[in-house]
Amino acid sequence: MKSSLKPRPIIFISYLILPFLLYTFVVFVPVILAAYYGCFEWAGGPKMKFIGLGNYAQLFQDKEFIRALKNNIYLVVVCVFGQIGFAFLFAMMLGGRRIRMKGFHRTMSFFPSVLSAVVVGFIWTMIYDYNYGLFNSILRGIGMEDKVQPWLANEKLALPLVALPLIWQYIGYYLIIISSGMAAVDPQIFEMAEIDGATGWKKARYITLPLVKNVLLVCVTLCIAGNMKAFDHIYVMTGGGPGTTTNVMAMYAYNTSFITYKMGYGSALSIGILVVSLILVGGIRGIIGRISKEKE
Amino acid sequence: MKENKKRDARHKIHIGALVENLILMVFSVTCIFPAIWLFYSSMKTKSEFNTNPISLPSRFNLENYIDILVKSNIVRWMGNTIRNTFFSLILVVAIGFIAGYFISRFRFKGRKLMYGYFMIGMLVPIHALMIPMYVLFTKTGMSDSWYTLILPYTAFGIPIAVFLVESYVQNIPKELEEAAAIDGSSFGRTLFTIILPVCIPILVTVGIIQFFSTWNEFTFALILLSKESLKTVPVGITIFKGQYSTDYPKMMTAMLLAILPAMVVYFAFSKQIIKGMVAGAVKG
Repeated sequence: MKSSLKPRPIIFISYLILPFLLYTFVVFVPVILAAYYGCFEWAGGPKMKFIGLGNYAQLFQDKEFIRALKNNIYLVVVCVFGQIGFAFLFAMMLGGRRIRMKGFHRTMSFFPSVLSAVVVGFIWTMIYDYNYGLFNSILRGIGMEDKVQPWLANEKLALPLVALPLIWQYIGYYLIIISSGMAAVDPQIFEMAEIDGATGWKKARYITLPLVKNVLLVCVTLCIAGNMKAFDHIYVMTGGGPGTTTNVMAMYAYNTSFITYKMGYGSALSIGILVVSLILVGGIRGIIGRISKEKE
Repeated sequence: MKENKKRDARHKIHIGALVENLILMVFSVTCIFPAIWLFYSSMKTKSEFNTNPISLPSRFNLENYIDILVKSNIVRWMGNTIRNTFFSLILVVAIGFIAGYFISRFRFKGRKLMYGYFMIGMLVPIHALMIPMYVLFTKTGMSDSWYTLILPYTAFGIPIAVFLVESYVQNIPKELEEAAAIDGSSFGRTLFTIILPVCIPILVTVGIIQFFSTWNEFTFALILLSKESLKTVPVGITIFKGQYSTDYPKMMTAMLLAILPAMVVYFAFSKQIIKGMVAGAVKG
């Protein structure tokens, strides 16, 4: 009887060993390998030249890497405000009594988040297309021919235009998270606030916002982690161009390794991405954890 | 005078409600419109599309579908995607259940360490692994096989699965196993015939999350496979871009076919899917 409540070590090991090995092989061995290969000048072939920490040192002065990192941070910032901002606004509306077809809105707004990023990227590429895109069709339709242009080739506009589908795709996702957070709040609080005359903006700012703050913070962490790894949309839409204007870290690492075959430097880049992401995501989590604890 | 003011206020509320409904309606429509656009454009001919990309097709026309299904590899890519999704889903649910249960129930040495080890996977950005994983898989001869993608898809599904099951099992009373043990049930039997059924709700959540992440995964599929016959749908349709760059309706047909399975699954089970994905996100 005892052994069926507390299994013997051998049973323990036999149940856990395979998951453990698979996980280690796929997630951790590559990290160690990357750190190792990062010390070589290597084009992927048999010839490898050991250069110590040279690649890592180069990383700090690599303007393209810094540019890519800045673009990642740009995406994080616009997505935090765009996605969570709109999601909060829409969730406020959706929570009100005056909205009809709530189920329809929930189902529709969440739909883009289950779509493949590649398809979303393509759809938006077509929206921006010079000859047959929706944007230009509309502009031609309303007689603004002079604004018609190949949108994604515009160096100044490319990055915000690439950010737009990213924002659009996940508003619904955060909308659902936030509105389920709002649903968990005792409705009497809102009723009392309304009796006291808090409506619209005031209600949002002083009643709803503080009550769902922790849910919003969760959204912010998710948003940061999500945009640090932006890749699929950009690969499809611009490949990082025009020039390097929409390059992000993952795109840069991909191009370095698989297009120009600098596998050694690409490995060092991988470690760079890992460290930057861990610092940013981990750091923000730490800060947020502290904020949400303070207020409790 | 007072009456008037009251009516004004009511009027104001009315307009406010209208505006709010309108805003949400516009947003909801933009969310579904791309799919609808793909659908009706897939029935247009190239010249029809080029004259007006937004207009409805002039007639019911399935030529694009026949062309794509017969001439391209999309059916094969679909099969590959289904296979990868199927196996990784089963593996992640099984591993998540077993590892999550063990870590939650037993106070063994290194328990916390093991839990932390699995959780760290959630912080590792997959793009930091694409190069080393490419090297590792080519050197061990594991790239370009039918099972290649199942390995990373499973491994990266483990952290969230273990996390969800671990916290779920904490709320299952221990008396359940104790009663089973008194009745003479062995450990394995208790695990699979008594604990497993109780865990079904959380395992459904794990399955939902895994389904969509595998179905849509792009990076590993791009890097670890070079044989065209093994490619998955998301990578496959990037090939179309080169092939059909001048034939938009065909492109759109392929894209519609690519999202169709996920779309059908989503609209059939949208309530559970939304619930499951949000639970996974908030708790993770």
